Amino acid sequence: MRSITQALIVGTVCLFSTQVFAQGTPGQTRTPDASAQQLRRDLETMKEQMRQMQDKIRQQEEAIEKLSTPAAPPVPTPVPAPPAARDREQLKQEVREEVLRDIQPQLAAASKTFPSQFNPAIGLVIDNVFSYRDHDRANFDFRTAELGIAASIDPFARGYALISGSPDGLEVEEAALVTTSLPYNLTVKGGRFFADFGRLAHFHDDALPVVNRPIVLDRFIGGESRANGIEVNYILPIEQYVALTAGMYNKLGAENDRVSDTVPRGLGEFTYLGHAVTFINLSDDHSVDVGVSYAYTPKIKIDQRAERHLAGIDITYRYLPLSQAGYRGLVWGTELLFNNEKRPIGGFPTDPTVPPPTDFRRRDAFGLYSYLEARLSRRVYPGFLFDYAQDIDRAVGATKAYSPYLTFWPSEFHRLRLQYTYLDAPDTHENQFFLQWTAILGSHIHGFRDR
Amino acid sequence: MKRFVLVSLSVMLLLLACHTGADAKIRVVATIPDLADMARNIGGDLLEIKSLATGIEDIHAVPMKPSFVALLNRADILLLMGLEVEHAFLPGLFEVARNPKIQRDTPGYIDCSVYVTPLEVPTRIDRALGDQHPRGNPHINLDPVYGKAMARAVTDGLARNYPEHEATFKKNLATYLQTLDAAIARWQHEAAPLRGVKFISYHPDLIYFAERFGMESVGTIELRPGVDPTPGHIVALEERMRREGIKLVVRERHYPAGLAETIAQRTGAKLVELPVMVGGVPEARDYVSFIDYNIRTMLKGVQGG
Repeated sequence: MRSITQALIVGTVCLFSTQVFAQGTPGQTRTPDASAQQLRRDLETMKEQMRQMQDKIRQQEEAIEKLSTPAAPPVPTPVPAPPAARDREQLKQEVREEVLRDIQPQLAAASKTFPSQFNPAIGLVIDNVFSYRDHDRANFDFRTAELGIAASIDPFARGYALISGSPDGLEVEEAALVTTSLPYNLTVKGGRFFADFGRLAHFHDDALPVVNRPIVLDRFIGGESRANGIEVNYILPIEQYVALTAGMYNKLGAENDRVSDTVPRGLGEFTYLGHAVTFINLSDDHSVDVGVSYAYTPKIKIDQRAERHLAGIDITYRYLPLSQAGYRGLVWGTELLFNNEKRPIGGFPTDPTVPPPTDFRRRDAFGLYSYLEARLSRRVYPGFLFDYAQDIDRAVGATKAYSPYLTFWPSEFHRLRLQYTYLDAPDTHENQFFLQWTAILGSHIHGFRDR
Repeated sequence: MKRFVLVSLSVMLLLLACHTGADAKIRVVATIPDLADMARNIGGDLLEIKSLATGIEDIHAVPMKPSFVALLNRADILLLMGLEVEHAFLPGLFEVARNPKIQRDTPGYIDCSVYVTPLEVPTRIDRALGDQHPRGNPHINLDPVYGKAMARAVTDGLARNYPEHEATFKKNLATYLQTLDAAIARWQHEAAPLRGVKFISYHPDLIYFAERFGMESVGTIELRPGVDPTPGHIVALEERMRREGIKLVVRERHYPAGLAETIAQRTGAKLVELPVMVGGVPEARDYVSFIDYNIRTMLKGVQGG
């Protein structure tokens, strides 16, 4: 290759030389200085041309060199390492980014509703009863539409409220704050709530196992154990479940009209409560809950400022075969109440123009209810309730009632109940029929207290 | 009266002293025996483990016993299967257990579904569709591969709370996973005849099991999850079974026997009864024997053994 190049250079130089000599011949007529200068210029031109030629030759040499070299093996394209060999963290990061890319639109949509995400859980209970009584005849009773809301307030407390709409108007059944992080197993509840007296007294009407609240609870407590006040609850730090409650309230009982909820009072006119409950596990399938309650009011204004004692004991036996707990079982619930207070001889006058009574006497009264309910399937729960309640004034005899009932659950949130009651009261004997239709919409938690 | 008050106060102080006393072992409460068994394998003697359910219950209807409150009140760790499967009892118990260590979103609250990709995640939440689980079907423990994921979640949760024992937990996990891996390989081989088999069950408990072993769940006796069937639903289900040649009815053992037996009888299908948790039958002593029992029983049903 090199020899070809040299030959080309020599040939080129010869050609140029010939040309130089050919040009020199006609110039022999010029003067010698002018010829020398001309010759010098030509020489410079030739040198320049030579340089250009050499450059060209070099470029051609490079091109030939490139073409004559055998083809190099193709550069291997980098093959991606198998995922197993990849850096684990990088892979995780990639997956994370991929997922984030996918869910970004949903996140964006969700963030638009962010302010509402702190809204409390909301549920509504609708309770209707068709009733027929021998004396009162028939009626469709819209009993309640009870709106329940609940949420955490902060790391230290939660709150809940149950607002009931009924033919009597709108009423706050409960609106309470409950601490969540007190030490030593303590919780404090304040506001309006169902006081921890007995068992069925703190069930809402729609959550009762029967259509109507047992007579003894209506008569001795005043319906639901609703109270404005404060409660402290303590669970003993032992393996045996024992819960203790102490409470202080304006009064006890939603329909207890003998004490005002709004008029300020002395400390002696509040109602004070103590409640203890425990649980005895007889076996995996059999258990008993036992509770004792005591409510003490040092002075009842309209009763000559006399004290009132209300005590109760509740026992609930459950047979729930664990493997069939959803559709088999038996519950027997009994509650006995004892009331002791001064009462006017002959009772309170119903006529407001009559002067208030002055002659009082201490009275004891006793009452109970007992019900037995079986679970025959997930849907069918038949039961029987027995009621017995003495008159608080002991002016008339006791009231008794016998109520067989059948509850049918289309689903966990939907219930139909048929109940017959034979009422045996001092002034009346009556057949009563009820058909209750209850449903829950929205949020619903299986509460521990409503077991 | 004064004496009574003094005695009461002394008892209370004694109880408070007991309450604050430290115990050597870590108190773990598991909602189901499957998790208790995994924790036993992973934590060994470091843990004192109690399970709320015994294994024979319907996980959606575990009776809320006050004795559970006492257990949860004293627990250091709560292991739960998650995906809201414990909705029937855990939220209610939380209301009264007053133990800040195991409340939701605390380190002591160990949700064992975190490494699982749920199936049947609803696209619409509506009670008309039954007792829905918004995050997907929660019966993950019937798939042994997800059993491994649950064991990993138990380990990570324990290590998060007790980093001083992390090495022990991880070492025990590795051993446990080896056991599970060997069993899974065997099960995959043994369960080959189950591949492609269609069945109906009482409740959608077996979705993950079916997915793992190639079976196909085509319907439930329940009208919707948690809702008992109507006569019309049973008629339609039986017609479908005849039409599609479905020859297997699975009754989870906590559901009533009568209806499942009747359906099997009327359609000429084989009835298989399965536990859904460790302890559901005496043979299911631990997680491995539980899955083992289910595969053997299912094979008997399919092969007519």
